[in-house]
Amino acid sequence: MSANEEKSLVEKFLQENVLFLGPDPEIMNNHRLAPETPEETVALAKFAVADELNLVRHKLLTACNESFDMVEQMGAAPGAKWGDLISGVWTASGDLALSSMGGVLLFSVLTQHPVKFILKYWADDPTVGIREGDIFVHNDARYGNIHNTDQSLVIPVFHEGRLICFTGAVVHEGENGATEPGGMPSKAESPFDEGLKMSPIKVGENYTFRRDLMTFLQNSVREPKLQLEGMKSKLYAAMRMKSRIEETIAEYGVEAVTACLRRTLTDTAEEVRRRLRTWPDGKIRQTVFADGTLRENCLVKICLEMTKKDDGLTLDFRGSSPEFLNRANNTVLASAKGMLAQEFLTFVWPDLPRNQAVFEPMTVITDAGSVLNCSPGAPNAQSMMTFFPSFTAAQLAVPKLLYSAGERSTDIIAGWYNMIVTFIYGGLNQYGELVGNVCADLNGMGGAARANRDGEHSVAPIFAPMADIGEQELIEEEVPMMKIVPNRVMKDNQGFGKYRGGHGYQQIATMKDTSMWGFMCCAIGSKFPSSHGIFGGYSPGTYPLCKVRGVNVFEVMQERRDLLRYTIEDIMNERPFEGARYSTHHMGLQLEFAQPGELYMITQGAGGGYGDVLERAPEDVADDFRDGLVSPRVVADIYHVVLDEKSGAVLADATAAARRAEREARKKRGKPYDQFVKEWVTALPPEGLPYYGSWSDRAVIHRGTPHDTCPGDAIVSVMMPDPKDVRIAELERELAARELAG
Amino acid sequence: MRRVSVDIGGTFTDCFLAFDGEYVQAKALTTHNNLATGFMEALGSACSSIGRTADDVLRELDSVRYATTLGTNALIERNGPDVAVITTAGFESTVPLMRARGYGDGLSALEQVDLPAADRPLSLVPVTRITGIEERIDFKGDVVLTIDPADVRKKVCRLVDEGAQAFVVALVNSVVNPAHEREVERIILSEFPSHLLGAIPIVLSHRVAGRKGEYTRTLSSVIDAYLHDRMYHGMATLEVVLRKHGYRRPMLLVHNTAGMAQMNSTSSLQTIHSGPVAGLEATSFLSKRFGQPNLIATDMGGTSFDIGLVTADGAKFYDFNPIIDRWLVSTPMTYLHTLGAGGGSIARYDRMWDAIEVGPESAGSDPGPACYGRGGRFPTVTDANLLLGYLDEDNYAGSSIKLSRRRAERAIEEHICKPTGMSVIDAARGIRRKVDANMAAAIFKEVAIKGYNPKSFRVLSYGGGGPLHACGYSAGIGITEILIPPFSSVFSALGAGNMDQLHIHERSLYLMLFDANVRCMLEDFTAFNEAIVELEARGREDLRRQGVADEQIRTRVELDMRYGNQLAQIGIVCPYRRITSTSQVIALLDIFSENYARRFGEGSQAPEAGVRVNVIRVVSYVEHEHLDLQPGTAGDAGLARPHSHRMCHFANVDGPLETAVHAHDAVREGMRVEGPALIETPFTTYLVEAGWTLTMGRMGAAVMRRTA
Repeated sequence: MSANEEKSLVEKFLQENVLFLGPDPEIMNNHRLAPETPEETVALAKFAVADELNLVRHKLLTACNESFDMVEQMGAAPGAKWGDLISGVWTASGDLALSSMGGVLLFSVLTQHPVKFILKYWADDPTVGIREGDIFVHNDARYGNIHNTDQSLVIPVFHEGRLICFTGAVVHEGENGATEPGGMPSKAESPFDEGLKMSPIKVGENYTFRRDLMTFLQNSVREPKLQLEGMKSKLYAAMRMKSRIEETIAEYGVEAVTACLRRTLTDTAEEVRRRLRTWPDGKIRQTVFADGTLRENCLVKICLEMTKKDDGLTLDFRGSSPEFLNRANNTVLASAKGMLAQEFLTFVWPDLPRNQAVFEPMTVITDAGSVLNCSPGAPNAQSMMTFFPSFTAAQLAVPKLLYSAGERSTDIIAGWYNMIVTFIYGGLNQYGELVGNVCADLNGMGGAARANRDGEHSVAPIFAPMADIGEQELIEEEVPMMKIVPNRVMKDNQGFGKYRGGHGYQQIATMKDTSMWGFMCCAIGSKFPSSHGIFGGYSPGTYPLCKVRGVNVFEVMQERRDLLRYTIEDIMNERPFEGARYSTHHMGLQLEFAQPGELYMITQGAGGGYGDVLERAPEDVADDFRDGLVSPRVVADIYHVVLDEKSGAVLADATAAARRAEREARKKRGKPYDQFVKEWVTALPPEGLPYYGSWSDRAVIHRGTPHDTCPGDAIVSVMMPDPKDVRIAELERELAARELAG
Repeated sequence: MRRVSVDIGGTFTDCFLAFDGEYVQAKALTTHNNLATGFMEALGSACSSIGRTADDVLRELDSVRYATTLGTNALIERNGPDVAVITTAGFESTVPLMRARGYGDGLSALEQVDLPAADRPLSLVPVTRITGIEERIDFKGDVVLTIDPADVRKKVCRLVDEGAQAFVVALVNSVVNPAHEREVERIILSEFPSHLLGAIPIVLSHRVAGRKGEYTRTLSSVIDAYLHDRMYHGMATLEVVLRKHGYRRPMLLVHNTAGMAQMNSTSSLQTIHSGPVAGLEATSFLSKRFGQPNLIATDMGGTSFDIGLVTADGAKFYDFNPIIDRWLVSTPMTYLHTLGAGGGSIARYDRMWDAIEVGPESAGSDPGPACYGRGGRFPTVTDANLLLGYLDEDNYAGSSIKLSRRRAERAIEEHICKPTGMSVIDAARGIRRKVDANMAAAIFKEVAIKGYNPKSFRVLSYGGGGPLHACGYSAGIGITEILIPPFSSVFSALGAGNMDQLHIHERSLYLMLFDANVRCMLEDFTAFNEAIVELEARGREDLRRQGVADEQIRTRVELDMRYGNQLAQIGIVCPYRRITSTSQVIALLDIFSENYARRFGEGSQAPEAGVRVNVIRVVSYVEHEHLDLQPGTAGDAGLARPHSHRMCHFANVDGPLETAVHAHDAVREGMRVEGPALIETPFTTYLVEAGWTLTMGRMGAAVMRRTA
């Protein structure tokens, strides 16, 4: 037997004896379009008139929007109700060609993977197959999508026995049976703590769910009603879209649909390349940090080197932090790409169609085993804690190229606030039902300052336009949380600058009418800002979680209303409730059961500022002061504006003098660049700083200390100690010291 | 029957007069500085058609019905009073933040997705006029924190000192317990009594909207307060003018709930969009009279295309959270979908798809299409229609606008022909094809999302541009029959002339008809029945105030129901005025299930997740005498004879076709017109495309059928 024959035999044996079909790197690492199929080539030749294609496209897009409306209406998850979903049409090769106008746009780039998995592994598998009427679902982020709380459902569409495309939807469903309720467990220490893990799986035939599988899925989560309603809504929306495709085929022919889907993708990619050609060539570097893992404080470096050349853009994240094998903040590479696409789809070219080809001309480079390209063994339920910063790195880098670009599609902005500041909840609601999910008011992220005007306060999340923070009265009707302060704009919470970023709001929440209710939070940026200003504009502030425990505010309302306060700063500074415990924390709160009337307080972040604070129009500062947005201290110490004490009007001469004085003071504080570098740059990270990522050399990765390193191309994953063990050790040391002291 | 109804639009004031069996239409230019002038001019013109003067007619009228755009204009102009909002402490930012999404409410889809450019509109209430008072009521209506009168009094006085001219009181959960809002009202009245000169208007949010949702309810109240003075004075001025001319009865204002009421029972918010709703109401009436159970109402104007639905099953479609200008509000408005497609819609070349795109940007009526010669430089649908030969440049819009062919050509050459290399005519055909396709897609989605098959409907086409495009967009959906209603150019005014006095009151409640957790049906019907009793009483009070006797009052109970925690709340008509048995509950579940299945597909229902009633709505109304409109009865009167021919181009036909041109008056009942043909009226043009035949009915009604 020849060596080749032997090799073939071994390959055959290996193919026939697969223990388990894990995530396929060939699928997961490739965001490019599938090659043109012979059917597509024929269709493109037959159906080539642009105006006609446009009519077909319009029809199919209308169908996508119709099915989007259906999922939004029929879905029971809070995420579905405010549009954390997408519905679309995938080509027969699995590329997402058309999707709804609304919804979470990063899905546009990362929903193809499970479809491609189904095509590659199940199409010819005699135990599975792909037939008309089949229903496939999926939620394991290692096979695609963002995190396990997102569930996708697709159905194949056939014409005369031939697979034409897939239709379906992806929805942030929330609760998924993870170690904590709500679907995004920051406490997860392995993928097995992250709840339901559906690799792409067939759950029904003849457009009907199998009851045994449905029962299994419902049994695996805390909200069986939600699981059922979510799956039903996606199925019926997919079926509606399938009907529309069949109607379009009847009107224009099957080639029209096939050609339309393919041309939509290739035309989009070409348009992105054309736009990139109008940008100057160059290289921009941007570093951002995540200041924790949601379990402990530490510095997680995300560094980007963005290179624009001709019609391509390379985003090189090598040198970023290693993955954390027992923390949930790791990102699957495909998710990172989705979030990066979001920057271009929403903040650079919002006029582009929503499909996968938008990202086709981009190249992403990462170190395998880093937080932005984690291994299948690393949990990823809170990947937002690293892929949102990677988005911000791109967002801060892009304006430097856009400024000299030949054309722009929207305003140039600083860094949008980038964290999901809200409460995740779990427990029994006032009707005795077990629930767990996330509040929609995460959607009020502060808008960044623009090159020519201020940012908007708490306006939209980075991942979806037209997202809704909801109505408190309706929320209170469904869950036993009462927001004493729901969404109140917070004083001084702006990214200062010539144009300021929009404010974020504060929330003060408590619970009532239930015997069991817990709160969680998941955001970074309580020690180090998670987003930033540009061209001299300030970053947003840092935001801790504040708690007042050992108080029942409802009793205070009855007995001592004079003690009530309606801002976090008043409560935390004045500490009005005697005997209560006041504390501040980072924003990674694992499920904590509360007592009625205890207060949990968080602050939505502000958008980054743009330009020098000393160039801000003094009248704008006066307006902000009048509207309660800034304190006298910020007026004086940040903006160096002098206002008349009684009228609040700008005193022009005094302001000019104050600003002159500050400019002189700046000159005195300033140093020559070389001197600054000499004083500032060190060979290694400081001792005692838990630092993760490269320092001076992108190829050398630090693992929490100055001396524990690994090469970037052979990353050694990080295992963190249990924070409880760390705390016990601290207390034991303290105890020992006290014992020693007698 | 002696009544006149008037609908004021951006360009024309439409008038419909029904007088002793005669029906007459008239139009006059809208006089924006004083709407009464245009009103009287249109009325005068209508009266002269029956040989009477306006004064003669006004003295003898039973009613004057009025669909006004005054409120919409006042909102756009931002010239309302200084409104102050009193809300629950902690909720001071609810209005300014607009639920985050508010930056995009009222904008096009493309504007909505452009986050870097997101700008909230200038607020109707500055933040300095919003104050929180210490009080709190929970979701059940229980008082958690009592109100502090001294706190309220101090804040009210401060707001007035700072310039507040009207108060909105919008406290959390006031719809389930309005005690605190009433207490604030009492305190304000004690400081600023209503009979003294310092009186200040007060709007309590629970009286404006009965639904939960503090933002939309507050905004609804703010708009009411903001528009109140302007509308009161505008309407009162008009009433004075009418009285001067001899009218002696109260004027009736058309509501966006498809009803009408006297001024003393009308809030400002209810008048917004009342004209288009009147058109839909007329469609509903025609549906019954003409035996056409499924109709899609389509009204194409200068900037927009309104789509409404009338179905055989009598389903009522509401928009409970409509967007007024840029504001999301809470009011049960009759549902109409508005698409940015009209004569003024701007066409452009889309480089990415190498194709022509139309809208949603519009040149409106100012500057208007390029051919208007008023400074518009972009090509529009009207420019395309002119170049294709459909419009008579010397007789457009009642001869009030002279069209310029050269300007239309130049705009299309510059913006479409240059980048595409197309000829002007091919470009115009492309524009026409795209706008018709856009309208067809929008109609299809609107009908389909409600669970109906669009092909089982007929299109009813009215408005200035409707009959000119009806063949195009109907063909795009596969619909083969189009109705043009009688008096189509004043169809909304006709609708106003045919309305009933009607009031809708609704209330949020949390009522499980089927509780999935314990698998039990509702057994205690008290809350359900008490809510209906309360809402019936409020409706009765509204109608009594207008002099309606109790025995004339009819009611209809409607429920908004949903499965589990879904967003979809579907309104059903409840066949019971009270519930007394579980079998009635099961019947409600069945009605809901049927409705849901029609919308989303049989099998999509999820009763196993629980079934809730979220809102109870009582419609109280009194039926008025209706117009006597009948379909044509004459036999085939043969082909109509055109007065001339001209060459026209068509979207899907190569080369020009000789096209017959008819005067509308010359096409009499029973006559047929075969396409391609144009039928011209002073204010609109019907385009009968090749393969279609129009048959004229009574009073200008017509049917176009696809014959090839």
